[in-house]
Amino acid sequence: MKKRLGIISLFVILFIAFITIWNYSYQLGLEEAYIPIEDHSNIYAIPSESGVFKRSEHALDYSNMPIDENHQRSLTTYYKNRAYHGAPPSIPHPVEEHQNMGGQSCLKCHENGGFTEKFKAYAPVTPHPELVNCKQCHVEQNTKTLFTSGHYASVEAPKAGVNNALLGSPPMIPHQIQLRENCLSCHAGPSAPKEIRVTHPERVNCRQCHVPNNKEMAAVGTFKRVSNEE
Amino acid sequence: MPIKSYLAHPEEGQKKALMEALSKIDHCDVIPAENKDLLIVVTDTDNKTDDEKVKESIEAIESLKLLAMVSGFNTPKNK
Amino acid sequence: MQNSLTSRRNFLKKMAAAAAMTAAASMFPGIIFASEQDANLPKGANLDWKKGPCRFCGVGCGILVGVDKGKAVAVKGDPNCSVNKGLLCVKGYHQIMCTQAKDRLTHALVKKNGRYVQTPINEALDIVANKMKETIEKHGKDSVAMYTSGQSTIPEGYVASKLMKGAIGTNNLDCNARLCMASAVAGFLTTFGADEPMGCYEDIEHADYFITWGNNMAEMHPVLFSRMLEQKNRRGAKIIDFATRTTRSSTASNKSILFEPQTDLAVANAICYEIINNGWVNKSFVENHVNFSKGLTNMGYGLEDKFKFSDKPTKIDFESYKKFLEDYTPEKVAKYSKVSVKDIKYLAAIYGDPNKKVVSYWCMGMNQHTRGTWINNLVYNIHLLTGKISQPGNGPFSLTGQPSACGTAREVGTFTHKLPKGVVTNEKHRRLAAKIWNVPYERIPSKPTYHATEMFRAVDRGDIKFIWTQVTNPLVSLPKTSRYRPGMEKESCFVVVSDVFPTPTSDVADVILPASWHIEKSGLYGNSERRTQHWNQMVEGPGETTPDAWMTIEVARRMGYGDLFPYSEENHVEEIYKEYTQFHEGAKHGMAPLEVLKKESGAIWPYVNGKSTQWRFNAKYDPACDNGKDFHFYGKPDGKAVIWQRPYEPAPEVPDAEYPFWLNTGRVIEHWHTGSMTRRIPVLHKAVPEAYVEFHPDDAKRLGIRNGENIKVSSRRGSCILPASINQRGLPTKGQVFVPFFDENMLINDVTLDAFCPISKEPDYKKCAVKVEKA
Repeated sequence: MKKRLGIISLFVILFIAFITIWNYSYQLGLEEAYIPIEDHSNIYAIPSESGVFKRSEHALDYSNMPIDENHQRSLTTYYKNRAYHGAPPSIPHPVEEHQNMGGQSCLKCHENGGFTEKFKAYAPVTPHPELVNCKQCHVEQNTKTLFTSGHYASVEAPKAGVNNALLGSPPMIPHQIQLRENCLSCHAGPSAPKEIRVTHPERVNCRQCHVPNNKEMAAVGTFKRVSNEE
Repeated sequence: MPIKSYLAHPEEGQKKALMEALSKIDHCDVIPAENKDLLIVVTDTDNKTDDEKVKESIEAIESLKLLAMVSGFNTPKNK
Repeated sequence: MQNSLTSRRNFLKKMAAAAAMTAAASMFPGIIFASEQDANLPKGANLDWKKGPCRFCGVGCGILVGVDKGKAVAVKGDPNCSVNKGLLCVKGYHQIMCTQAKDRLTHALVKKNGRYVQTPINEALDIVANKMKETIEKHGKDSVAMYTSGQSTIPEGYVASKLMKGAIGTNNLDCNARLCMASAVAGFLTTFGADEPMGCYEDIEHADYFITWGNNMAEMHPVLFSRMLEQKNRRGAKIIDFATRTTRSSTASNKSILFEPQTDLAVANAICYEIINNGWVNKSFVENHVNFSKGLTNMGYGLEDKFKFSDKPTKIDFESYKKFLEDYTPEKVAKYSKVSVKDIKYLAAIYGDPNKKVVSYWCMGMNQHTRGTWINNLVYNIHLLTGKISQPGNGPFSLTGQPSACGTAREVGTFTHKLPKGVVTNEKHRRLAAKIWNVPYERIPSKPTYHATEMFRAVDRGDIKFIWTQVTNPLVSLPKTSRYRPGMEKESCFVVVSDVFPTPTSDVADVILPASWHIEKSGLYGNSERRTQHWNQMVEGPGETTPDAWMTIEVARRMGYGDLFPYSEENHVEEIYKEYTQFHEGAKHGMAPLEVLKKESGAIWPYVNGKSTQWRFNAKYDPACDNGKDFHFYGKPDGKAVIWQRPYEPAPEVPDAEYPFWLNTGRVIEHWHTGSMTRRIPVLHKAVPEAYVEFHPDDAKRLGIRNGENIKVSSRRGSCILPASINQRGLPTKGQVFVPFFDENMLINDVTLDAFCPISKEPDYKKCAVKVEKA
């Protein structure tokens, strides 16, 4: 009898402990998430220089490659494959190997590109082949329906052909380039969308003439002198 | 429909003469180099016979020292 | 169907032509096909394209400016210019946009009771002339000074020199090129006796190796770097980056070698040691064309006012030079330079290989150096020992930062010690100048007075009572502006500033003169490869803006020197150039006539018998060689170049416990110098809106500094607050921070040190000690 009482009281204690802990964590969960935000009035990022020249060894091949007009991508199909511009594209084709993280099986086609008979298309080249956990960001699209519909904001994607400041001057870079420091992977070769395929891939030092326009990060405005009394 | 490109080397000091002679030939485009004695010739003919004729007429030019073919393409007929 | 067939045919034709061009380029490096470039140019707009040189750096790209109804609306690279072959950089493509800035100086402003009053230009010029005259009468000729620029056109520099040295009779004329090119000049004069590079840009198409010394060419000389990259990709030429900071150039190079600041002196000597030790010396070249000398050591650093130094060269022999180099074995040097023995030997082996053509490039890293003349000498030593000089693809090449640092500052000679030909200390040169200027020979003083830094020290001391700056912004670009800004603000000195935009320098002016910008006037520039370039006025400037040369002439006339300045307003540029070229007549420095410069995209001097001389001192290319040998260094009386014995000496201020970081300053591709033009170009401002302080990631981590956080950088002289930048544009070596100097709102030159090379008097902006703390 004593033994039974002991067991029951143990369970009662455990139960009370559970309730207390659960309550405590529930209360914590009700508190609003807090992220310390520093007041940076001037957030702008100078893009990293890593990867600027990464595919330059292929630049001459790119410039000698004929253009296969029947199998080129367009900017519309390029954007269609992303939730919004700048988002990681989803995998638009079936994937056979489900167990791995991507790595070599993706890079086989997406490191250097090339024509794939099965999809009748040129494989797009990844600007960051060193990040091999592909499926961390790029996922398959296995259904066309939604769980619930929602009011998803549509972000206007930059347009091609309207980014130059002067007639005939080299266009500015209208998008952010974090993880996309390597220009040639998207702007050269047969898989490049035709509107943004560069006519002179052999130049390689892209940012000699094309500089980022930071308006997507923060509107920079024009230069103002601090010492101006006006 | 053969398309071929050549490097044409003129005899010394005769780049201009060669340029003029070449531009008189049909089915034949010339791109002169600005700073060296060399011209690029691109021929574009409808068939093999025409192609040979054009090549013969180019080689007959007196101011030409050397003609070297660089590349040749043939556009498929049924495309 | 028909349509796609023709387009396919057209495409194949283009391919065929492209293949032929590639083949041609491999046979003839540097071949140009104009029609290929033309195809890429914008079509449609009905523009009038006018030819000229770019406004910015010393590369001297040819530009075409598209003018529509009297307004400049577009810029493209000139496909017929052999410098850039149709390519420009982002600054070049957008340069004309700065003229539209809202705060453009359009009228003269005169300070009255602490406020600037808009004044008719004629009245303002009267005030300037009267003040200058009055100051001379009261305090003597040496109380007035002019400070001009490597961006002044040739005529602007020429009339300034004529006014100061010929008319007034004072050597109080110096220019901002002192801050960038003086060490290069001193290097050339001490080694070769003749200023400016012997080679030309075409070396790029011939060289097997490019070795860049402290030089981030991808950002600073981008068009030349693109020419190098083309050779790297097409021909397998190799780029070796030898620097104190990992930059875009390092990323693009085949190899990047980092060294500890100031130890370039030791590494250069170690390379020479290796060359001699391995028997890689070109013996016949050295025997026939080279002398050995040594100069004074422990020269000091010019930190004190009125510092004086003159070198005393002594001839030495090869054996004692060899003995001197024993202190610089790769093993010894590796210890303090932080360059591995292997890397030193690697560099030496490239220079030493007789079958490899090598070009060395450098700019501010070697020039802005308290031993700038020495390090220039030392790199020449390497090329002279191996005989790799004055030949296509082989040679040392000193690059310039300003569009006419060569053409105006060095050739016209807007330095205190210079005349359009030669130096003031030489009687023959003074007599020639007096003759062409038509002034009494006695009027030109034989003693140099103030170099740039000392000139502003004299303003601070009150010795100079009137200063006129043109085309330059010293209160952003001088070292230690924390001293020279209060100096210029003093009542004791009347300050006249000619500029296109308001700057921190015009903020302290008593009179501000509104200058015409680049294409609003005609002019001539001279680039790094001795190319003289002419342009005609393309558009009208706003308001009462006036060309700088004309303002100088107007002031000279008002001071009573009208007979020396008989030029016409419409045609003064051509009249002045014709007068000026008399100075350089002859095979050694003949300048191309205007008719040629108007037709072509520049011509390289010596321009002899209608031909540019691409490689000087080489009898095969240079008609001035007349000693009967294959090379003739005719700048020196005995026709021989000099190998200088120059030791390693430490920097004047090195990091210590209190100030533990090296401070290095420089530029970014988007901004040019003090940013007064480029920051007013929206494309460039948006790309890099403000300056920053770069850290090595390890240092940042140790100090807990995050990207974008405000950091106070301070030295013994002043401080400056900037946002931190980690892993972005560049990566300084550990223990070093880097700040670009373009930002007038974050004046890093308040922090820098005004130590200079005692021979060249060029300050060192690359090395001083600072501490950093979170602001």
